[in-house]
Amino acid sequence: MSNTLRPYLSAVRSTVTAAMCLENFSSQVVERHNKPEVEARVSSEVLLTPVVISRNENEKVLIEGSINSLRISIKVKQADEIERILCHKFTRFLMLRAESFFILRRKPVEGYDISFLVTNHHTETMYKHKLVDFIIQFMEEVDKEISEMKLSLNARARIVAESYLQQFS
Amino acid sequence: MLIDLQPSNRILEEALRERFNGEAEKLQLKVADFDGVKYRLSTPESKTVLNISMAMRCFGELQRYGADAVLRREYGDMLESTPESGFDVTVRVDLQNLPQDKESLVRKLSLLKRNALAAPFEIAFNAQLEGRDSELMTIHYRDEEAYYIKAQHDRVTVIFSTIFKEETDRIFGKVFLQEFVDARRSPATQNAPQVLYSPREPPMELRGVPGVQESDWVGYVTFVLFPRHFTGPAAEGCISRIELFRDYLHYHIKASKAYMHSRMRTRVDSFLKVLNRAKPEQPDSQKEKKTASGKTFKRS
Repeated sequence: MSNTLRPYLSAVRSTVTAAMCLENFSSQVVERHNKPEVEARVSSEVLLTPVVISRNENEKVLIEGSINSLRISIKVKQADEIERILCHKFTRFLMLRAESFFILRRKPVEGYDISFLVTNHHTETMYKHKLVDFIIQFMEEVDKEISEMKLSLNARARIVAESYLQQFS
Repeated sequence: MLIDLQPSNRILEEALRERFNGEAEKLQLKVADFDGVKYRLSTPESKTVLNISMAMRCFGELQRYGADAVLRREYGDMLESTPESGFDVTVRVDLQNLPQDKESLVRKLSLLKRNALAAPFEIAFNAQLEGRDSELMTIHYRDEEAYYIKAQHDRVTVIFSTIFKEETDRIFGKVFLQEFVDARRSPATQNAPQVLYSPREPPMELRGVPGVQESDWVGYVTFVLFPRHFTGPAAEGCISRIELFRDYLHYHIKASKAYMHSRMRTRVDSFLKVLNRAKPEQPDSQKEKKTASGKTFKRS
């Protein structure tokens, strides 16, 4: 793990852990409604100050907390065109399967590549520390996956080109 | 091998081999090939006379560059002077009158598309070997894509235009083509023709040619062939390979997309496993239990 990745991930881990103190909270505005306040944004007193943790200008995490829900948005590193398209494909692929990921949001928050929405319901039915583990592991593996895909694309392209051109000699 | 495409049409080859070695039967078979080429095998008059017809988008252009002569040379009397309606070339084979060497006839017939496309290459190669320049020959082998062949006094230039239909294809195509340009540095491919790639803009040779477009989705690939690539026996293989370049490139772009997709699938599964660890296991008393007969029940 490189020098800057470790403190980055540990900062994200402690912030998410702290923000995951959620409780059941009914809407103050509409009777008998119970919505994730971080999405509804109708009463400002239950929202917490959002936190941005950035490793550099291309990689950052936005953590928005509220009394009954928590939104985590991740911007994945995209150094060039290939990484951009691979990242786009990969996050799209995940978000199409948001149903089975429980905490995954179907659309990312603007300016980010992928978002998670954790509500008090999730923290009540699942282990909090394991949810945090999932988010951290996700962040680690997305980078790894994208760079591996890029490498394999380049390797394939080289083999393909060489095998075609070798036939001439 | 999976990595290379063959210039012959596999289905055509197998169907003909079976036909030549089996009994005479009625046959009606439609086969598709790359670049919208269609074949039809039929026995219209009797079971022993087999017609092989091919429809090709750019056949009119190829005829202008002497495709008829090339086909006549390859297929001799088997080539019909008037093709079946809806098709551009018809070859007629009398199954009762097959030559001794059936296998080479099968090979030859399955190369129908390759041979038709070879005509402009042969003109260019011959012109260069005689030290003449040729005109710029244009073959629109697909709706929006074309290749251009020109012989100059010391070389033959073949330029492909190819369209990438979507963003991913475009970027993958760029990676692949860049490797084609760079691959010549390795010692094993020293003798290969030089490959140049220009995204968007057509190369100098095509400036001012009608129908040459400039957009983000087009790429131009130039092959520079020197006499050592096409003198004597090298010519045949060289033509087959160059003709297949576009199909080869797109085939591998599609294949790598499919590979990415399967990779992402396994990755999603592994993420799901991690997430499912967060779910507490149900205590034993809540679990469904099975009786010996297969019924399930919950202990209350």
